[in-house]
This record gives sequence, C-alpha cells and structure tokens, in this order.
Amino acid sequence: MQTNFVVSSGGSPRDGLLRHSREFIVGAACVVALFMTGHAQAATTAAPAECKALQTKYPQFKGKTLVNAINPHTPGYEALDPNDPSKYVGFDIDLGESIADCLGFTMTYKSVTFPALLTTLQSGQADIVISDIYATEERAKAADFITYSKVFDGVLVAKGNPKKITGINPSLCDATAAENTGYVEVPLIQNLAAACQSAKKPVAQIQLYDNNANAIQAILAGRADTYINDVNTVDAAVKAYPDKLDKASAVTLPYSVGIAVPKQKHDLRDAVMAALGAIQKAGIQQNLLKKWSLPAENLESPKLIVSN
Amino acid sequence: MELFLHYLTMPYLLHGIVFSIEVTALGLAGGLILGLVLASMQLSKFGPLAAIARAYTIIFRGTPLILQLVFAYDALPHLGLKLSAIAAAGLALAANEAPFIAEILRAGVLGVERGQLLAGQALGMTPTVLLCRVIAPQAIRTMVPALGNEAVSALKNSSLASVIAVDELTLRSTQLASSTFDFFSIFFASGLMYLVLTAAIAIIQLIAEAALDLDRKFSERFAALLPWCAKRDAEGEAAAPTSTPASTASLASREAASEAASSAVERSNAGRASRQQDLAKQSASVTVTGLVKRYGKQTVLDGFDLTIREGEVVALLGPSGSGKSTLLRCINHLEGWDKGEVRVGGRRLGVRVDGRPMTQGDIANERASVGVGMVFQHFNLFSHLTACENIAGPLRWVHGVPAAEAERRARELLERVGLAHRADALPRHLSGGQQQRVAIARAIAPNPRVLLLDEPTSALDPELVGEVLEVIRRLAIEERLTMIISTHQLRFADQVADRVVFMSGGVVVEDGPAHDVLTHPSHPLTARFLNVMGADSRFEMAT
Repeated sequence: MQTNFVVSSGGSPRDGLLRHSREFIVGAACVVALFMTGHAQAATTAAPAECKALQTKYPQFKGKTLVNAINPHTPGYEALDPNDPSKYVGFDIDLGESIADCLGFTMTYKSVTFPALLTTLQSGQADIVISDIYATEERAKAADFITYSKVFDGVLVAKGNPKKITGINPSLCDATAAENTGYVEVPLIQNLAAACQSAKKPVAQIQLYDNNANAIQAILAGRADTYINDVNTVDAAVKAYPDKLDKASAVTLPYSVGIAVPKQKHDLRDAVMAALGAIQKAGIQQNLLKKWSLPAENLESPKLIVSN
Repeated sequence: MELFLHYLTMPYLLHGIVFSIEVTALGLAGGLILGLVLASMQLSKFGPLAAIARAYTIIFRGTPLILQLVFAYDALPHLGLKLSAIAAAGLALAANEAPFIAEILRAGVLGVERGQLLAGQALGMTPTVLLCRVIAPQAIRTMVPALGNEAVSALKNSSLASVIAVDELTLRSTQLASSTFDFFSIFFASGLMYLVLTAAIAIIQLIAEAALDLDRKFSERFAALLPWCAKRDAEGEAAAPTSTPASTASLASREAASEAASSAVERSNAGRASRQQDLAKQSASVTVTGLVKRYGKQTVLDGFDLTIREGEVVALLGPSGSGKSTLLRCINHLEGWDKGEVRVGGRRLGVRVDGRPMTQGDIANERASVGVGMVFQHFNLFSHLTACENIAGPLRWVHGVPAAEAERRARELLERVGLAHRADALPRHLSGGQQQRVAIARAIAPNPRVLLLDEPTSALDPELVGEVLEVIRRLAIEERLTMIISTHQLRFADQVADRVVFMSGGVVVEDGPAHDVLTHPSHPLTARFLNVMGADSRFEMAT
C-alpha cells in the first residue's frame, strides 16, 4: 500500500499526508506490517535490482512527483479505500506505485471522469494515466500506451437474466445497455445495429453514465438490462448485490489494458515500459494479481501502442 | 440509518465541504469583482465598452458551466496558463457568475429613483459621492435577496467542479459510492451537508436584510432576529400610533399660527413700490442671455433672455411645455445648452478657466461653489436617509462641514420649516408636504445665492399645498432669498413674487411686476392663460 512505498523509496516529502504516514510508520512499523500481511506486499517492497540501473538511466524522474489521472470508480482496480477514504486502492494503484517505486518518483492522484482521462493528460494536468483504460488505436491518437493486461469483459444483468443476454451479440437487440461515456464497449454495441435490423429486431439502446456506480444503479432501478464491462468489476457488483444482480457470461475483447503517457514524452514512455518489464520479471505483477483476486492469465508483457 | 449517520460524520466527506466552500468563495468573490466591472461597463456612456460587456454576458451566460469548467481546466494549459484544479474551478465559476451578478448590480443601480440622482447632482455631488452616498446604499439593500440566491446557486454549482478533479463533496461522494456500493446512504448524507450549507447562506441573507432594514433602529435590527426580542418589537409597534395624534395636533396648531402670520407679511401695494425701487439698485444675480436649448429637433428654449437681481423673487408662469423646467435646469446646469450663456453671481457656467469643456466632476464642483439650490416637484429626498441626514449629509459630503456642525444646521433648518419633531423620520414616513419642506431645508442648507423651485406644490394633495407655500413665502419675505419659482399657483405668485415672467414657446412673452401682470396682462397669450387658470379659486380670492 502507499505507505510502504514511501518507506522503501525514501521519496519526496511534498505530500503532507504521506509524510505524516511515514512518521507514523517509523514508530510503529511492526503494527503496520501486521496489517499488511494479508495483502502479499512483500514482493513489492523489494524493488527489482534492475530498478537501480533504470534510476541511473532516467535520473529526470527520480525524486519527482508525478500526477496519475484515474477514474476511481472501479473497485479492485482503482477506488477509494472504504476503510480510509483518504487513500486509493486497487491493482492499478499498486502497479503504478511499483513503477513509481522502481523509477524513484512519488505518485499523486487526480480523480476525473472516464472520458476526461486522456484530455487531462493532454492538457498537462496529469503526467500518466493508469486507470484500467483499454489501449485502442483510436485512443492512441491522444496518448501513447504501454500495455500490461489482457481484457476480459463480463455481462452484468438483473438476477435471472430476464432478457437472456449472452454478450455483445444480437441477444442485445431489444435490450438497453448501461455504459460509461467513452468506454470501448459503446461502439461495439452500436455496431450491432446492422445485425439487429437484418434480424428484424429493434436496435440495442445505450444509456451513458459517468461511472460504474451509476451504471450499476441503472440495472438495479430497472432502467437498463445490462452493463458490459471488465469481468472483475462485474463480479464485484454481483458480490455487492447477490440478490439482485447476475453475471451472464464472459466476453473476450481484442484489446489490452494500457498505461497512457503524453505523446511527446518519449523518455517517460521508455522508462515506464522498462520499469514495467522489470516488475513483471520480478514476479511483482503476478503477486498483485493474486492480492486483488484477479486471474493470473490477465498478465501481458509490455508492448507499445502508438499512432502517428 | 446507521450507514447514513456513518457517512454523515465521516471526516473524509466533511473535509470535502472545505473544498466546496473554497470553490464557492472563489467563484462568488471573483464573480463580484468581475460583475462590478461588467456592470460599470454596461452602465458607462461609452458605447464600445457596453458592447464588449454585452458580448461577454451573452457568451458566459449562454454556455453551460460544465463546459466553462472543462475549458478553464483542460484548454487554458494549451494557452500556457496551467491553473490548479481549485483555481480553474474558481475561475470558471467566477466567469460564469459575473454576468448574473452584473445584472443584479445593474438592476440595483437602475432601481434607485432618477429624481434622487438629479437632487444629488443639484446639491453639487460629484459622480463618486453620488455613487457612494446615494446609489450604493440603496442599491445594496435591494440586491441582498438576489445575491443570496446567487450564493446558493454558486454553492450548488460548485459540485460541477467534480468533473475537473476538484476533490470536493460531490466528487468524494461519487467515489465513495463506487468503492462501497452504499449509493443511497452516501448521497443522502452529502445531500444533507449541502442543505446545511445552503441554510447557512439563507441565515446570512436574513441577517443582512435585517441589518439593512431602515425601518428598524440599528440596535434592534440584529436583536429582532431572536424570537423573544421580535415579540417585544411587535408590542412596541402596536403602541407607536398613540403618539402620532399628539404630534399632528402640534403641527396643526403651528400651521394655524403661521397662516395668521402670513397675512401680516403679504406685500402691500405701498410696500411693492418701494421694494421695486430697492431691487432696481441691486446687482444681477442670474443673467440668462440668448439661451437656446433643443431636444433633438424640438426647440425648447429659443433665444431666452432673463436677468434676476439679488433678493428678487420671480414667478415663472406658462403653459406646460413652455420651457419653465428646462430653464431652471439650465440655470443649475443639470442640462447643457446649445447656444447662449448663463451667469450666476457674475460667473459664466459651463466653461473652465482654460476654455476646455467641463467634466461631470467639474460641473458638480461648479454647482457647489456658485450656490444654486434646487427644489423639485417630486421632492426627491434620499429615501434611505432620515430628514435630518437628508440635510446634514450633503453639507458634509459636498461642503466638508464637520459632522456636529452639519447636524446642528440641519436641526435648526428643520425647526424653521416646522419639522423639528420629525428629524429622525424617513422620507417615506412623511407626508408630501412635509417631504417638500425637508427638501426646501436641504436646498437652502448651504446658503445658496439663488434658489430654484420647480413647481414645488404640483405633486401635493390640495390640503398640503398651504404648508409648503408658507415656508417659501417666509424665505422670500423674511430672508430675502433670491428665488425663481415655476408655479401654477397664481395667488401665491401674487403674494410672494416681485416679478412674473410669462413664458411660451421657449421665449419670454410678458415680463413685469407680479401684481400688474397678474391683474392687467398686456399680451393676449398671458391674458388667455390667466383666464384659464383664473378658474382656480385661490386666484379669485386674491383678486
């Protein structure tokens, strides 16, 4: 968790909250360690040996504070810690902290809506985006991506799946899907129009929201029939409302999840990519997947998605 | 319920309120400053400024705040201005609030009676003094409810700052709802927090309204908000009317006495002759030469000539539209003119020593130093000031009289017009006749060289005319004040005026000793006018 990274990185004391935490931890390290045991933190605290070389190669990031724009509405990836809402927690957060740790910078967070993630990056209000964003060709026009995970979507429906929805296919015709503005699922559902029309069925309707909670509420309130999104988000929703929601099926999308960096900042892109490689090699990403109960097969070795 | 209370007391959410308030405060403060600039641009006489302000208003009032927020946050950095999230939100909210606040300010300023501005100018107030002492105090009072409204709406609008990553209450609530799935408990809790904040604004508004309520004594204004004090206040109001008949009675008896005295001070025929001789020896107080004044194509004064001697009382008669009011307003330089010149006490009005045209401030100072007092048909008392302050205020602000001295002078003058007992009353609690008497006291307070009275009794109920005429009569006969009175009261003109000037079509038709002109008019227009007005029983009595 965040406090651990501060201890190991000896990072910048700019953030008052973190500094305060550090003082606390120095005095009560054992107690904190007890709290952490359940979270398989051991691997992340020991930065891979390669990181020292990377910090020498990319000294411009060392000791700096970078802003990570996130859309913290996806429990498991990035969301507030329900027990301490002053912190963000999740797989993406831990991965980002590992990269920061490796390159020797401190990460701060900026919460924005999903469609604002890349515009925030473009306007310079953020330095990096690690927020479960799928690296599509379209999005690569706005930022460079370094992928780190495969995409598995789930289909969230009302209990018993009354509309018999089986995925992004003609079973969606005649149904209403709740989606988040800017999600890749939106055009995929829109592209069903032709198939629905040839099957002489009404075209699937889409309601756009600006975060997961609203999309889930749309199903609970009977406004929408389905919400198709990352499978782990869907699982979390079913776990929160076991009497009202179901997961219909899993959908494989031809995308990868990526870390976005500004197009012109090639040094940051290269440094993050190298750090991610080192982290994967040291098995840290695997540990994090386990920590957040995500399937191990999500892992994907880093590749660049850029557009010219 | 337990969850609701948990979130209601959660420090994370409560801390979000601080950011909400910060953004709101930035937006309101910036909006007020920018709104002031916009309002003054729109009220300015310089066309292009008003057009720029209008264009700004159209753009920022006509586009959604959420777009403006995103612009300030995401677009400005491309122009080289990277603001923090809170600053960007404050800027966008200020830019959005400004046109609304500007309209509130403008409405407040335009809501101040035009007559009061004229009266202020006539008293020699510069535009700045007029703004600070007459316009602002009245405008602010009328603007409080609308500004309260605007503050509440700004607070609610601050929640939109969540789209640009301002870590305020709404953003914290939505994030928390996403991570805990306790959707409704969280939003009910944050809803209640907003409600408490807006209620606080409502209370501040009520306090401000009470504090600015002129009908309460200052010490009572705050106390009245407390229920136990309000009760006592109501009892006091109920008891108040009992004192009124007594004061009315004393006023009535005083007026009866002055009515008796008036017959003694009326001009006798023998007196008139000697007075005419005296006046002929006096130097000219006001000289109007070849005055031409046009409104568009209409010529109101067409080469007007008139000389008034020190101590002379001139009644201006003439049908409506004959240019009487315009003439008076030119003599006080409330109006400019197209040709000719006006001299008061030998000094030519409207021309600076260096020959350049005068600014509004120059004209105001000229009025104060030349000494021309003016009484208006509609009294034009400053409605936010007591009778005493209406007189003492301008003495302090324009003539720099020390406060104690100004108040002493004001009370002395009120005594002279028979209103000492109403010194602390607001104009709206005075009868028309009383208001006009205060207005006369205000006009003569700085000891003007000449007093202009523009139909001083036309707006009064018939039974109130007498008390005002009596005051003017005393000024004329006892104090020998130089006066130019436009009036329709022929009997009064006969009693008080040395000379009658009959105007028609912007020129002098007939000019002569008052009694002669009124009883034996030589010009047919005068004769016809007197004939028509002669139906007035007052003049019948005089003849």
